[in-house]
Amino acid sequence: MANDAVPASAGGSLGWLERLPVRRIILTVLTVVLVVVVGTGIVKTLTLSGTEHLDWSFWANLLVIGIALGAVYALIALGYTLVYGILRMINFAHGEVFMMGAFASFFFAAAYAQSGFLNTNPFAAMGVLFLTAILVSVGVAVLLERVAYRPLRNAPRLVPLITAIGASLFLQNTAQGMFGSQTRGYPRPEILEGTIKIGKVSFDKIDPVVIVTSIVVMVLLELFVKRTKTGKAMRAVAQDREIASLMGIDVDRVVVITFVIGGVLAGIAGVLYAMTFGQVGATMGFLPGIAAFTAAVLGGIGSIPGAALGGLILGVAESVGPYMLLSGLHVPSPFELKGVITFSILVLVLIFRPGGLLGTGEAEKV
Amino acid sequence: MRRIVLRTAVRAGAIAGIAVCFVSIVGLLERLAELPIIATTITMGDVLILLPAAAASWVAASPRVIAGERRSPDLSTAAVAGLVTGVTGAAIVTGALAIVSWLGVETVRRVFIAVSPELIDILRFGQSAVVGTVILVASSAVVGLAFASLRITPPDVRRPVVGGLFAIVVAALLNRVIEPAFDQLNVEKDWLYAINHGLTWVGAIVVFVLVAGAVRLHLGSKLRAILRPEPSPAGVDDGPEGSGRRDPFAGPLGRRGVTLIAWAVIALLLAVLPFLVGTVVSRILGSVGIFLLLGLGLNIVVGYAGLLDLGYVAFFAVGAYFTAILTGGQRLTAAGYQPPAFGASLPFYVALPIVVAIAALIGVLIGAPVLRLRGDYLAIVTLGFGEIARVLFGSVWLQNLFGGALGMSKITTAEIPGIPLHFQSDARHFYYLVLAFCLLAIFVSWRLQWSRIGRAWNAMREDEQVADAMGISTTRYKLLAFAIGGAVGSLGGALFAVSLGSLTIASFKILVSITALAVIILGGLGSIPGVIVGALVLIGLPGLLTQFEDYRLLIYGAVLIAIMLLRPQGLVPNVRRSRELHEDERLQDQWAEHALETESVEAPLPTGGAIE
Repeated sequence: MANDAVPASAGGSLGWLERLPVRRIILTVLTVVLVVVVGTGIVKTLTLSGTEHLDWSFWANLLVIGIALGAVYALIALGYTLVYGILRMINFAHGEVFMMGAFASFFFAAAYAQSGFLNTNPFAAMGVLFLTAILVSVGVAVLLERVAYRPLRNAPRLVPLITAIGASLFLQNTAQGMFGSQTRGYPRPEILEGTIKIGKVSFDKIDPVVIVTSIVVMVLLELFVKRTKTGKAMRAVAQDREIASLMGIDVDRVVVITFVIGGVLAGIAGVLYAMTFGQVGATMGFLPGIAAFTAAVLGGIGSIPGAALGGLILGVAESVGPYMLLSGLHVPSPFELKGVITFSILVLVLIFRPGGLLGTGEAEKV
Repeated sequence: MRRIVLRTAVRAGAIAGIAVCFVSIVGLLERLAELPIIATTITMGDVLILLPAAAASWVAASPRVIAGERRSPDLSTAAVAGLVTGVTGAAIVTGALAIVSWLGVETVRRVFIAVSPELIDILRFGQSAVVGTVILVASSAVVGLAFASLRITPPDVRRPVVGGLFAIVVAALLNRVIEPAFDQLNVEKDWLYAINHGLTWVGAIVVFVLVAGAVRLHLGSKLRAILRPEPSPAGVDDGPEGSGRRDPFAGPLGRRGVTLIAWAVIALLLAVLPFLVGTVVSRILGSVGIFLLLGLGLNIVVGYAGLLDLGYVAFFAVGAYFTAILTGGQRLTAAGYQPPAFGASLPFYVALPIVVAIAALIGVLIGAPVLRLRGDYLAIVTLGFGEIARVLFGSVWLQNLFGGALGMSKITTAEIPGIPLHFQSDARHFYYLVLAFCLLAIFVSWRLQWSRIGRAWNAMREDEQVADAMGISTTRYKLLAFAIGGAVGSLGGALFAVSLGSLTIASFKILVSITALAVIILGGLGSIPGVIVGALVLIGLPGLLTQFEDYRLLIYGAVLIAIMLLRPQGLVPNVRRSRELHEDERLQDQWAEHALETESVEAPLPTGGAIE
C-alpha cells in the first residue's frame, strides 16, 4: 500500500484532470446557466402578451395551491428532520408511512361516505379518519424502527440507508398486495367541497383547512419539543447520543418517541393530502416523500422551523415554478417538469448551502 | 437454559404465525399455492405455510451464549422448543382465520383484497374448519419438532439435509430450465418430473440424495477452490476447506490443469446453454445478462468506490435512448414514424463506442457537482438525477428528440454482416450478444478490482480523508468511478434497446436502479461472483416463475432488509469487503481460530491478511 501513497499524477494519463479545478469550473458554469435560464424564463413569462398573457389571479391561485401543498410537505418533512436529528439517517421509508396512514383512513372514509355519516357529521367523521391514519402510521413507523433500524444503529452509514430503501419498497408493495394496485377516489365531506372566491382569486375550500391544520400541528410540535421534558430529552439525544445516555436518558425510548411523532405527523399529512388530491394509492408516498425530504434539507435538516419554511418554499416552487420559469420559454406542458424543479432545488441546496436555509451548516455531514 | 429457549420459541413461533398471515394477506400464498413441488401432494403453498415454522424452530433451537459459553440446547429442550414454536405459529394463524370467519370473508375482503374463500381453503388444506385446523397445528408442530432437532445435530448432518431439502424446492421451480435441457439431450425425464411439472417422489429423493451428498463432501467449496486461478494465500481465505495450507488437487494434471479443465467445462456449458434450454428461457437469460451488466456497473460505483448511486437508471436510459437515436431509430408519433430531430443511422458497433463515451461524460457531469456529498445525501441526490433523466427522456418538451411518452421504435438489430445471428428476433442469438458484453464487463471489473485504480477506490471507500491524505486524488477517482460505472451501465441500456427494438419511458423507472442495487447487495457488494448470483436469483428466478411477477418488488424489498440485517457481506462475499462490515467479529474469530490451531506455527496474524 505504501507505494501507492506517492501521487500518481506525474505519470498518470489523467494528470491534467487533477490540475483543473473541475468542480469550480462546473459549478461556475452551472450557476451562470441557471441564472440566465431562470432569469430569461421569468422575464419572458411575465412579458407574455395577447392570448398567452397570464394575469395576477392565475398566479395568486397557484400560490394558494402551492402553500397548501407546502403545508403538507412541511408535516412530512418534520418526520425526516426529527429522525435525522436523532439518528443521523434518512428514513427513506417515511413516504410509505404517510401512504399507509392515508390508505387506512380511506376505508373508513369510503364507508362513511356510503352511509352518509361523512356529510351529516363531518367533524366526528374527520376525527375518526385522522385517528385511524395516525394510529396506522404510528404503528408502521414504530415497527419499522424496531425491525429495520434498531439492530443496525451502530452499523456503517450505508447499511441502514439500504435497509430503509428496502423497507420503502417492501411497504409500498405490501400495500399493493393488500389493498390492490389501482388508485381509489378519496371522498370529501360536502362542507369542504367546492371553491371559495375572494375577488378574482378562487381556491378550493380544502386549501385553507390544510394550511390551518398544519400550522396548528407545527406550533404544538414546537411547544412539545421546547417545553416538555421529553422534548428536552429529544434535543439532548440529537446533540450527543452517548452523553445523553450517560445523563440517564433512555435513548431507545427517545428514538421510539421520535418515530411516533413522525408517524403522527405523517398520518395527519396523509389525510390532508388524500383529501386535497381526492385519491389514494400504493405509490402515492414516493414523490411527496422525496419532495418532503427536499423541503427538510432546504430548510436545514434537524430544524423544525426550517422544515416548515422548506415545505412552504418547495410547495410554492412546485406549483408556481413550472409555469413561471417555463411557459415564457414556450416549453410545452410545463407542469410535467415539476419533478425536475424539485430535484434541481435539492441538488442546488446541497451544493451551495448544504446546511440549509435555517440549518447550522454541518459541513462534515455532507 | 430451558426457560430462555422456550421464551425464544414462543416469540419465534409468533413471528412465524404473523409471517404466514402476511404472505396470505398480500396474496402471495394464493398465487403460489398451485405451484407443485412434489407430485400433486406437496405444493409451494404448503412450503410457504410451513417454512416460517421451520425457520422459527431453527432459530429457537440455535446455540446461545450463556455466561460467556456457547451452548446448544439438549435434545429434549430442542424438541419441546420446536413443538412450542410450531403450535404457537399455527395458533396465531388459526386465530386469524377465526377472526376472518367471524367478520365474514366478504367484509374483510373489502379492505384486504387477497382474502378470499380460496385462500381460507388453502390455509385449511382443503378440509373443513376443524380438520383443517388439526392438520395445520399437527403439521406445524411436526415441522417445528423436526427442524429444532435437526438444528442440534452436528453440521455434517444438518447441512446436507437442509441443502437437500432446499434443492428439492429449487429443482421443482426450475423445471422450465431442466426439462427442455433433458429433452435436447434425449435424456429420459419422466422419472424426475411429474406430468404437471412437480418432481416425482423418486425424482425428489434422487435430488435430495445427490445434493445432500454433494454438500456432505464439501463439493461446493472444492469447486470454488478449483475455479480460483491461483492458490489463495492463507490469510485471505473464507472457509476452512479452501485454505491453501494443503493443496488437494496435486494430481497428475497439476493444479493449473484441473482449473483449466473446470473453466473449459463452464465455457462449453455457457456456449450451448441457449440451445439446451430453448427460446423462452433464453429470453430470461438475456434479461439476466442486461441486469448483470447494470449490476457490474453499479458494483464499480457502489461496491468498489463506495458511492451509493440510486440514479443508476439514468445510465441505462442514456444507453438505450442514445443507441436508438444514433442507429436510426424512429419516433412513433400520431403521424406515423418520424426521424428524431437529431440522429444518425450508424451501424450498432460504430454507435456503441459513442454511446459509451456519452454515458461516461454524463457520469462525470453528474458526478462533479456532487463530489463533496457523502453517504445518504449522495444517494438521495443521485436518486434525483435518475428521476430527472426519466422525466426528461419522456417529456413532451424533448419529444422531437426522444419520442416523449410513445418512445422510439425501429432500433437497430445489431446484426453483424456475414454472421447469421438475429439478435432481435431470436432470443437464443441475443443471448450470445449479451454474453459477450457480460464477459467483457466481468473482465474489466476483475482487472480493475486490484489495479491501482481499484486499490485507490478501496482506500477511498474505507476512509476518504485518509485516502486524500495518502495522496489519492479523491476527485479524480470519484469521477472515474462515475464514468466507468456509467459506461458499463449504458452497455446494458444499449443491449436492452437492441433486444426490444423499441423503447418507452415506462422501462426506465427508478425501480431499475433499486433492482440493480438489490442484485449487488444480495450477492455481496464488491464481489463479481456475487453480482452474477444476484442477477440469476433476482432476475432469473422471477422470470421463470411468472407467478412471482407481481411480488418481485416485494421480494426485492425483503431481500434488501434481510441481507442487511443477517448477512451484510452478501451471499458470495468479497473477502476484503466482508472484513469491513464485520471487522471486530472477524478479528475475534480469527484470533480464536488462531488460538485453537496452535500447532500450525506459521498461521498469519489476522490483521495482515488482505494485502496482496
